Amino acid sequence: MAPFIPQGLINPELTLFFALILGIGFGYILEQAGFSSARKLAGVFYGYDFVVLRVFFTAGITAMTGLMFLGYLGWVDLSLLYVNPTYLYSAIVGGVIMGFGFILGGYCPGTSFVGAVIGKVDAMVFIVGSLIGIFIFGHFYSTFEPVYTGNFLGHIHIYDSLGISKSWFAFMLVVVALIAFMLTQMIEDRVNNISTEAIATRPSYRLPTLLLIAAVFIFLFLPDERKSRMSEVSAEVLMEEVFGDAAYVSTQRVIHQIKNQHNNLILIDARSREEHEYFSLPGAVHVTADDVLNRGWRNLFRKDHRMKVFFSNGSSEATKAFMTARRAGYDNIFIMDGGLNKMFYELFVDIQDDKITSTNLQERSTARFLRDARIFFLEGGIAPRDLEERKVIQAPEQSEIIPVIGGC
Amino acid sequence: MDHSPKNYMNPYFAGFLLGLVLLSAFLITGRGLGASGAVKNVVVTAVASAAPEYAENSTFYADFFAGNNLMMSWLVFLVMGVIIGAFFSGAMANRLGFKIERGPNISARTRLLFALSGGLLFGLGAQFGRGCTSGAALSGMAVMSTGGILTMMAIFGTGYLIAYFFRRLWV
Repeated sequence: MAPFIPQGLINPELTLFFALILGIGFGYILEQAGFSSARKLAGVFYGYDFVVLRVFFTAGITAMTGLMFLGYLGWVDLSLLYVNPTYLYSAIVGGVIMGFGFILGGYCPGTSFVGAVIGKVDAMVFIVGSLIGIFIFGHFYSTFEPVYTGNFLGHIHIYDSLGISKSWFAFMLVVVALIAFMLTQMIEDRVNNISTEAIATRPSYRLPTLLLIAAVFIFLFLPDERKSRMSEVSAEVLMEEVFGDAAYVSTQRVIHQIKNQHNNLILIDARSREEHEYFSLPGAVHVTADDVLNRGWRNLFRKDHRMKVFFSNGSSEATKAFMTARRAGYDNIFIMDGGLNKMFYELFVDIQDDKITSTNLQERSTARFLRDARIFFLEGGIAPRDLEERKVIQAPEQSEIIPVIGGC
Repeated sequence: MDHSPKNYMNPYFAGFLLGLVLLSAFLITGRGLGASGAVKNVVVTAVASAAPEYAENSTFYADFFAGNNLMMSWLVFLVMGVIIGAFFSGAMANRLGFKIERGPNISARTRLLFALSGGLLFGLGAQFGRGCTSGAALSGMAVMSTGGILTMMAIFGTGYLIAYFFRRLWV
């Protein structure tokens, strides 16, 4: 699943190699499209050459729709992609200054390299100017810092800011692009006085336009979230599980595992970090309801086939974590019935040692079991026969996700 | 043999190909394309290396002193690729050659002066905008980032508003 390097499917050492290759493609296409010419670039503002709009808009919607469709198919994890952060005033101020830079200079940083390398002296001078501009920013950084770092709204998406769905935004953007292509073509022909005969001999874009509109019409029927995984549990089934018996594992079962140092259950502490660090059951990992969806725990819930038992002091936090895990489609999840409170009550409070001599076999064995467990917990009592037999209960490890460092 | 410059590529086709390159960048590495960051890394590395006492006092150069090799970075290698690819394209299309491109009504000197100031403004603005047209606008559009799209609208909006006053440069 993409993105490949952050998911560990491609060696991160190859990142720079890919940067070079992609850059070569980037530069080649830009020059082929004419972005090495300042006059062509500036044309978008004066109506005589809309190449910037055509290339840019097309590239943007191609990548956007590509990501959307692949995300819908589940072939790319969209949440791992770098989304430019929004620093409200800095974004606008920067854009305004760059607007001036574009009109005065006729290039932008990327295209200035494209122009310079084929010999455009004005592009080379532009690059020198940009070095100075960056130096100035650095020199006065302390003055600029409040604007630069202020109003951080997060790595937010435009459709959230506008309050519409992702599919609608994508659909509208494509429609706007197509309209813009048509309008700008008419303006350009007017500005350049292209004769009607010349226009008539051009290939018609009518068919590809209609096909494209038909294709993006599908956007409106795409769900915003990826289609649920096959094992995702509905709310009704979930409620049945929580209010029934099937989701629960008894405290005695857990005590048994700890006392005999087995490894059949994975004990998961769903309480806060402070509580977990202060005291927890041996071999327990710390995964709260919020952490459950964390990528790092995926291997634990998907690949490890042992029973996963959430516990908390009572049962509310364990139940929350249980529900989150079940909604995410994970199986083999349980709640320790009654939580630590019940466990301690059984072991240390509600002492029923008198039942050890009871005539009822069930009562006898339970009482003996609890007494032995109490001694074990209090004194580290019943040690295994051989020290070598002691198996260490391994806490499962969180798998590593290589984070995407973004930025331009 | 015909040495006249070849025609430019159909812009929609070029845009489509560029979109594929952008898409590949995201699929392979999780991030998009960009250019201004590479230039920033060059400035930071050069200034901090040449004048460390000056740079040490500024947060702007902190990355360099944290021991990060800024030149071995995604953006720098991307721009190196851009240079190679663009040269290739120019060579194959017979477009190589020294030239000062300008509008018909200004002198070469004027053009170069404005190129310098334009570059200066773009360099400055790209810091605030956390990217230029490639990084903020193009990649921002692909992931539908609010900040990226805002910056894009500010760039082009401003351009259209002031274009009339600088028309002498181009038409």
